[in-house]
Amino acid sequence: MFQLSEEGLKKIQIELNRYESRQSAIIPALFIAQSENGGFVTDEMIDYLSKVMELPVSRINEVFKFYTMFNQKPVGKYHVQICNNISCVLNGSRELTDHVLNALGCKMNDISLDGKYCVSSVECLGACAMAPMMQVNEDYYENLTPTTAVEILKGLK
Amino acid sequence: MPKCTINGKEVEVKEGTSIIQAMADNGQKIAHYCWHPGLSVAGVCRLCMVEVEGNPRLQIACNTAVSEGMKINNTSDKVKEAVKWGLDFHLINHPLDCPVCDQAGECGLQDQYMEYGSYDSQMAESKVKKHKVVDLGEKVVLDSERCILCSRCVRFTDEVTGTKELAIFNRGDHSEIGTFENRPLNNKYSVNTVDICPVGALTSKDFRFKQRVWYLKDGETICTGCSTGCNVKAYFNNEGFFRIKPRYNPQVNGYWMCDEGREIYKFINKEYRQLKAQKKTAKGWQEMTAGAAAKDAAKALEGHLKNASLLITGQASMEEVDSLVSTFTTQFSSKKIYHWKNNEAQWGQFDGLLIRGDKNPNTKGVQSIFAKHQIDTIIETLEAEVKAGLVATLIVALPESQSVYPDLMDKLKAFGKVINLIILTAGKVQLQDLTAVNCWVIPTKTFVERSGSYMNHNGLVQKVNKITNIVSEALTLDQAVALLSGGEVTVDSVYGIETVKPLADLNQRPDQVVADSRKKNEFLFKRGTV
Amino acid sequence: MNETKLLTEHYSKPEFRTLKGYQADGGYEVLKKAFGMQPQQIIDEVKTSGLRGRGGAGFPTGMKWGFLPKNGEPRYLLCNGDEGEPGTCKDRIIFDQAPHQLIEGMIISAYAIGSHKGYIYIRGEYKKPAANMEAALREAYQAGLLGKNILGSGFDFDLDVYWGAGAYICGEETGMISSLEGDKGQPKLKPPFPAVQGYLKKPTIVNNVETLAAVVPIIRDGAAGYRKFGTEKSPGTKLFSLSGNIVKPGNYEVPLGLPLKDLIYGFGGGFKPGRKLKAVIPGGSSAPVLTADEVEKANLDYESLAGLGSMLGSGAVIVIDDSHCMVDLLGVLTHFYAHESCGQCTPCREGTGWLNKIVHSILEGRGRLQDIELLEKVANQMKGKTICALSDAAALPVLSFVTKFRDEFEYYVREGHSKVKGTAYAKMHH
Repeated sequence: MFQLSEEGLKKIQIELNRYESRQSAIIPALFIAQSENGGFVTDEMIDYLSKVMELPVSRINEVFKFYTMFNQKPVGKYHVQICNNISCVLNGSRELTDHVLNALGCKMNDISLDGKYCVSSVECLGACAMAPMMQVNEDYYENLTPTTAVEILKGLK
Repeated sequence: MPKCTINGKEVEVKEGTSIIQAMADNGQKIAHYCWHPGLSVAGVCRLCMVEVEGNPRLQIACNTAVSEGMKINNTSDKVKEAVKWGLDFHLINHPLDCPVCDQAGECGLQDQYMEYGSYDSQMAESKVKKHKVVDLGEKVVLDSERCILCSRCVRFTDEVTGTKELAIFNRGDHSEIGTFENRPLNNKYSVNTVDICPVGALTSKDFRFKQRVWYLKDGETICTGCSTGCNVKAYFNNEGFFRIKPRYNPQVNGYWMCDEGREIYKFINKEYRQLKAQKKTAKGWQEMTAGAAAKDAAKALEGHLKNASLLITGQASMEEVDSLVSTFTTQFSSKKIYHWKNNEAQWGQFDGLLIRGDKNPNTKGVQSIFAKHQIDTIIETLEAEVKAGLVATLIVALPESQSVYPDLMDKLKAFGKVINLIILTAGKVQLQDLTAVNCWVIPTKTFVERSGSYMNHNGLVQKVNKITNIVSEALTLDQAVALLSGGEVTVDSVYGIETVKPLADLNQRPDQVVADSRKKNEFLFKRGTV
Repeated sequence: MNETKLLTEHYSKPEFRTLKGYQADGGYEVLKKAFGMQPQQIIDEVKTSGLRGRGGAGFPTGMKWGFLPKNGEPRYLLCNGDEGEPGTCKDRIIFDQAPHQLIEGMIISAYAIGSHKGYIYIRGEYKKPAANMEAALREAYQAGLLGKNILGSGFDFDLDVYWGAGAYICGEETGMISSLEGDKGQPKLKPPFPAVQGYLKKPTIVNNVETLAAVVPIIRDGAAGYRKFGTEKSPGTKLFSLSGNIVKPGNYEVPLGLPLKDLIYGFGGGFKPGRKLKAVIPGGSSAPVLTADEVEKANLDYESLAGLGSMLGSGAVIVIDDSHCMVDLLGVLTHFYAHESCGQCTPCREGTGWLNKIVHSILEGRGRLQDIELLEKVANQMKGKTICALSDAAALPVLSFVTKFRDEFEYYVREGHSKVKGTAYAKMHH
């Protein structure tokens, strides 16, 4: 049974009262739940949030499935999101993606065998003048080359 | 009251009316999928494009209010081109499975495709795969690939029932309607989503695969499932009645009806009906035609009817009740007429939308006729008298829908104490339960087989016309009592009286047949995960 | 070449992001000036300045404010910081380096339109910029710059941050409002427009981050001061995000009307040795692409780019050199729009997916010649047919790529591989 920590529940209560409508707390609450659950959200958690927040479960699920930052399956310890939109592609992000996948020995969107990495290709993250770039969990790494990207990733403990 | 011109025709509409509503009110055709007059405006199918003079951009008629002097058309080439493409966008990922789709024949996509002429799709790519045969709830099945995401069903559960089970998940062309795992679409109005689905995405488990819609006729009537009296259409052919759908009446039910009301076609079909009259004789039960049995009873009981008691329910029509009561009070000079009430304690219940606790369509009607004739009996008196053996002759008009009378069997058994018992019934009765010394069972008609009026909870009298015959020789209650009182009934209104049978045969439409196809469908539901 | 720094003058100083540092360079002085003015005066000043929405649509800001009902009805001021248009990374530097400038601009704007509650909607991926913004808000509250009776003016204004969660469509103002309401970020039907019925059905103004920040120099220098820069119809300066195949990519603040060449060659330092200009997308991925010839004639203002059939958009200048295949790049863009369509309106939901599939069929060597025409037909039918502009945004690149680089498309269909990059390449990426 999924349950939020005391602190998580408190945070959700704060979010419920923070905005002009309670429903606005769905996105923040999903973030809180996702972070407590190690980076992804399950059906059970949606159900749980619906009870905690007293909001319709389908509404929360709808929001959950609409936004790309909510993960529907585990994303490893480090979720490596490489931008493959136009400015990054022009600067070799696809070659960089291939290189990273080879170096880490994993397939796109799958978690590496050691459970450490999950590489995905994503749309524009707003670092176009610093292309190519990747986001690892919450951090941006910019002006990458295939070599520096792999170095950064391998350097993560 | 702004005036506008729609396709060259000048019309005047109420302030704030949308173009699409104005067109619908004035009999103008306009393509649309997401707009529904009973729901909020979504404006997403983008099919109801109109050209408004002075505006270079096409507007959607559902979200544009009519203003004074507006010149609107939806017949220009520009509009036609837009609508044709609008349809094409709906079709590119839509499966071409009309031959196995239940909606075929009443499908918005088919209608539009025929309207805009046959052409070959330019779509050469593979279609998006989505979930098929998703078991949404007790009564509804979803085929996501057929869904055009008009969001009518979602708005219905949001706005009408407020139950919010349905939602659209994901985005782009992967969007899918669905419910949350283990939170099925089980509200009491769920089948309305099937009605408003413009395509074959939502289908009714009850109706699925039973009939092609082009083999069905429909007739207008009202729902007899409770005292609300929702206006409905009943769909039938000579194999039986197959479904009930709501019919718009702003005074009563708006656009909707409850799921329970959709079951009312079930007890009227032939297999649930009393087909022949039965008379108890020394040698057992003797089968007779309805009219003959009534005449036989009239003859046998001549003189005894003066002291007869009558038991009726709120399921008979106003006309029938009035005729029964009049006959009793005038010809039999009896005021021993009783109103049999089922679950009276729940009559006050109301779910806030349509469903009422009184499961009779005409309780108010019975009460008003009783009042007119100054009858203020209570059924307990009758029961006590029966128990005490004080009732010699009893005529019982059983309810058409027996299932809402849970004490029906007990009552029938108790009536074994009377000497002469006449049962007027549309539904089948178990003959072994009828222990009265003399007993006649006379088949009667149901609400689709006779014209009649019903007074709903609000005192509104609604008259409905006969739709068809199911059991041709069954009598209406007033015909039955006319025969019982020694009268005659006219030839064209009744069938089954031996003397007139040959003549009647000529005018009679064939009886309903009982077909295997109406048996319950067995198919497996696999719940897709959305 | 030097930038014209009305907004970004002090952005290089790390301390500028703190209240102390901001105030050291004259921060919140303009707010005091604004409180000495009548709200209508501020609106008039912004109208006269000719400030146009910097998010992409370029709608005149003062006029937008003028759409609010003239009554005491509560209203909201929302700042659109969803910055998702590919190529754009300019609002982020404001969150990062000048959060107080945005706050000051928002208080002045709120005072002008009579709003007492505002939100800054920041795209969810901008964790650090958002945290920076939140820290600045805390500082501002502590210093009495937000909340009740700001600086003794009697004016109350509350401001908070809301994080998006990953959806390009939330950059559309009504999509953003839906998202802020805790819903899917699906754009709302118009009418009613947000100024009449927006956030929670109350009158609402949504302005881009840069637009609201630009209110500060406009009130500081007056409309006339602001109009000294830029052109008659596109006054002032604007932040341009220069990216793609360019030696010095980055964010540059330059006066509107600057020749596009100057941005590319002057500020951007031109191309890598041996490479030359092939095309430029001048206003974010949704803007129609310009050919090298058109770039020669283009100035960075609303009118010049509109004259060339493109648009200034968000000011994201994406430069493409001759080593790239236009069919391939269109594939990147169609994939993006198919991924980001909210799925509400049929032409966009189905059309973006269809366009993407056609382009990818071509890229996989399965193209038919009629596919090129089909791309145009489908894109044309997606234009102007939907609730919001995403459908148009998806259609415009397709139309401009296919018409302006038709030879590359025809070559790809005929030969089954790229005219620029050869055979192996196509296999690798599609």
